[in-house]
Amino acid sequence: MDPKALSALRELLGDRLRTSLEERICYSYDATGKRFLPDAVAFPVDAEEVRQIVLLANRDRFPVVPRGAGSGFSGGSLPVQGGVVLSTERMDRILAIDGENMYAVVEPGVVTERLKEEVRQRGLFYPPDPASLKFSTIGGNIAECAGGMCAVKYGVTRDYVLGLEAVLGTGELVRTGVTTVKGVVGYDLTRMLVGSEGTLGIVTRATLRLVPLPEAAATMLALFPGNRHSAGAVNAIVAARVTPSAMELMDRTAIDCVLAVIPIPLPDGTGSALLLEVDGPKGSVERDAERLEEVCRACGSLEVRRASDARGREELWKLRRSISPGLRRVAPVKLNEDIVVPRTRLADMFDFLADLAARKRVRIINFGHAGDGNIHVNVMISGTDADETRRAEEAVEEVFRKTVEMGGTISGEHGIGIAKAPFLEMEVGPLGVSVMKRLKGCFDPNGILNPGKIFLSEEAVRR
Amino acid sequence: MRDDDLSALIGLCAKCGTCRTVCTLYPERKAEIAVARGKVALLEASLSGEDRDAASVQEALTDCLLCGRCERACPNQVLVEEIVMKGRADLAEEVGIPAWKSILFGKVMASPAATGFARRAAAAAERLILPRVPTGSGLHYRFPEGFGGGGRTVPELPANGFLETLGKREAARGEVMLFVGCVFDHVFPQVGRAAYETVKASGKSVAVFRDAACCGLPAMVSGDRRSAMECIEGNLRRLREAAPGTILFPCGSCLLMFRRNALSLVPKGTPLHEDAVWVADRSTDYASFLLASGVVDRLPDPPEGERAGEIGYHDPCHLSGTLGKGPEARQVLHRAAGDAFAEMEGADRCCGYGGTFNVRDYPTSARIGEDKVTIAARGGTKVISTACSGCILQMRDMAARVDPSLRVVHIAELVQHALQRGGGDPPGR
Repeated sequence: MDPKALSALRELLGDRLRTSLEERICYSYDATGKRFLPDAVAFPVDAEEVRQIVLLANRDRFPVVPRGAGSGFSGGSLPVQGGVVLSTERMDRILAIDGENMYAVVEPGVVTERLKEEVRQRGLFYPPDPASLKFSTIGGNIAECAGGMCAVKYGVTRDYVLGLEAVLGTGELVRTGVTTVKGVVGYDLTRMLVGSEGTLGIVTRATLRLVPLPEAAATMLALFPGNRHSAGAVNAIVAARVTPSAMELMDRTAIDCVLAVIPIPLPDGTGSALLLEVDGPKGSVERDAERLEEVCRACGSLEVRRASDARGREELWKLRRSISPGLRRVAPVKLNEDIVVPRTRLADMFDFLADLAARKRVRIINFGHAGDGNIHVNVMISGTDADETRRAEEAVEEVFRKTVEMGGTISGEHGIGIAKAPFLEMEVGPLGVSVMKRLKGCFDPNGILNPGKIFLSEEAVRR
Repeated sequence: MRDDDLSALIGLCAKCGTCRTVCTLYPERKAEIAVARGKVALLEASLSGEDRDAASVQEALTDCLLCGRCERACPNQVLVEEIVMKGRADLAEEVGIPAWKSILFGKVMASPAATGFARRAAAAAERLILPRVPTGSGLHYRFPEGFGGGGRTVPELPANGFLETLGKREAARGEVMLFVGCVFDHVFPQVGRAAYETVKASGKSVAVFRDAACCGLPAMVSGDRRSAMECIEGNLRRLREAAPGTILFPCGSCLLMFRRNALSLVPKGTPLHEDAVWVADRSTDYASFLLASGVVDRLPDPPEGERAGEIGYHDPCHLSGTLGKGPEARQVLHRAAGDAFAEMEGADRCCGYGGTFNVRDYPTSARIGEDKVTIAARGGTKVISTACSGCILQMRDMAARVDPSLRVVHIAELVQHALQRGGGDPPGR
């Protein structure tokens, strides 16, 4: 990077600009395990500083890569073309919680769980619950449109963003959206920014919709002989007009992962498991839970375990949460995809994945948010065997093709970043890509913001 | 830099970011370099040759309290404490150890005679030079501003250490070996005494480990492998020779050194490593011993409703966290103090001491520590009890800054008081 640009940034930010190799190494990675070294790391404290940084970037032409907690799975916060990593860590205030109008105003660096906890104390609920919610930030959640377990009932981050304040690639500060439930004044720029992976604007403030905190919840673990049964149960539950707040499916490969971490007794012949949760008023939770049990039994469940108290529910959830740590014991490298298929095609997809694993001679571990058809497909490899890596990458490509063919989408909640850039066109087509690129040009004509993401470019090769 | 063990340990980190949520230092630094994930990335860069500036990487690694929260929260069970200590030691081989540290750890603390001499010299100096600060836990002396960090206070050093008050043949042999530790011998001999008297109440024969060198933890966490080995080698040999059934540590940090750290420090497959395993197997914390040996059952019933809720327990990171010995101390306190003991606000917050961290960056250490004792005092605690020498040093200093009436004691002092119930002032006066 131009020394003139660095000294201008230093003048703006003082010691909140870091350029030592050590500080830069610490902002060179995210949860993908890939690394790209930035030229500098900036820690702005307000929208004006963000604006000044972007204006300087336009003057001296360096990339600006916004970053929350660096916990993404698609490389959204990696500085693939160097430049400045703009960390939102010091913009972490909750500015307002309005219980009467049911919204919160926060800065992008607020950790999601902190917001959830603050509003919970007021009897309110901010539903989005990505698995990373304890450390990921609202800004990052908005940039990637994070989902989570409860999306099946409550939707994803997009559904809770009422309005935004953001610095565009031009350095202009734009305010979008509303603080009300309704609003149709012109184009929906808010939705345009949500999920745009920091390529259109840097969110500096977000107005988020809140809902009443559910009074009670019950959790159930239903064990089935195979995925056909559990996937059948998922569809039967929807047909029974009950909407659980979570429907997590674990196939046998995922169950084995859990058993490696916590040994729990399971009935013989368990081949698939569904973790179900219902929430709402006390009476309706009881009724829904019973209804779910009936449906599971009718769909051939071997056993249903149920918990209504906090501790019992936590025990059941622990099973689900142990999958990811367990993965590490299977193989050191995971190719972690998050496809979504129509719910009715879940069983077909599981069959396809089992067949694919056998054909490509790789281990594939599958689990996910079955209620919304979202499957986390983890292809596990050593990372040191070139032939195995090639087979795994072929497998991933086949998974994407099958997903699109089934009418699904190649990313439910992780985003495209660099990891899926080669497959963007497969789903949205050449015109889709072209329209997206034209929009990018409106928001960021000089290509300052997060270059090399979403769209395939030479620098964004899959490493 | 090359270290295959270290490479294997850091290879488990998936860079997920969980460590950010629990790091004691992160709220102070608000930058990735403070957290485990950043430190792992720096060691990777150091091992791969990407970052050849060992001194700068060492500087980053040193900025850590070794509280171990990241390790316990890590979904992949990455051994962060071990990684940081190994990394510091490897890097120290390239950049060296500061002279004052290698003299202190390798010469003074490895030698009991030199430690005693140093205490007497320091005791004379503080009386001559520093202004006095009376506190609930006893007299402290305050350093002037701009000298070792703004307003630091240190406890009044005693004329005699605990071991010096024992008769020549007293407590020479026994089935239980008490490893008093430098601080409870030389700085707070009343704790050494309380531990000794209360352990004796078990009816078992109790020996006090004489000619003990420092446990070696300060040297080890500073990456000074050689001094740490000098400390631990003699200790291990002589403990094995004495062949006690149990080795008891009133200080959680000393215990960590013998239960866990020595095993990674001493090369595997050597006779000394066998000694280390032998010692580790027999090493126990104070509260567990009191429970197992029945001392707690023999305590007179605690008075009811007396100063209810005024005594709290602070969880030392090494003892409650790394070694998982938090419930035991509470069971002891329930029996020793009755209603006076209540769960303290912020009991498991780190005190911010971090051993050499406190020397390296006193202002940060003090901010974390002041928060700790302020939260405790606001919750109604008037006496903070704990079982680690570092935590006691830090929290007494913090109490002197925040609220000098707040007392900080070792749980052994409360047990001793319970044994003597019916007369005498509570300890720490």
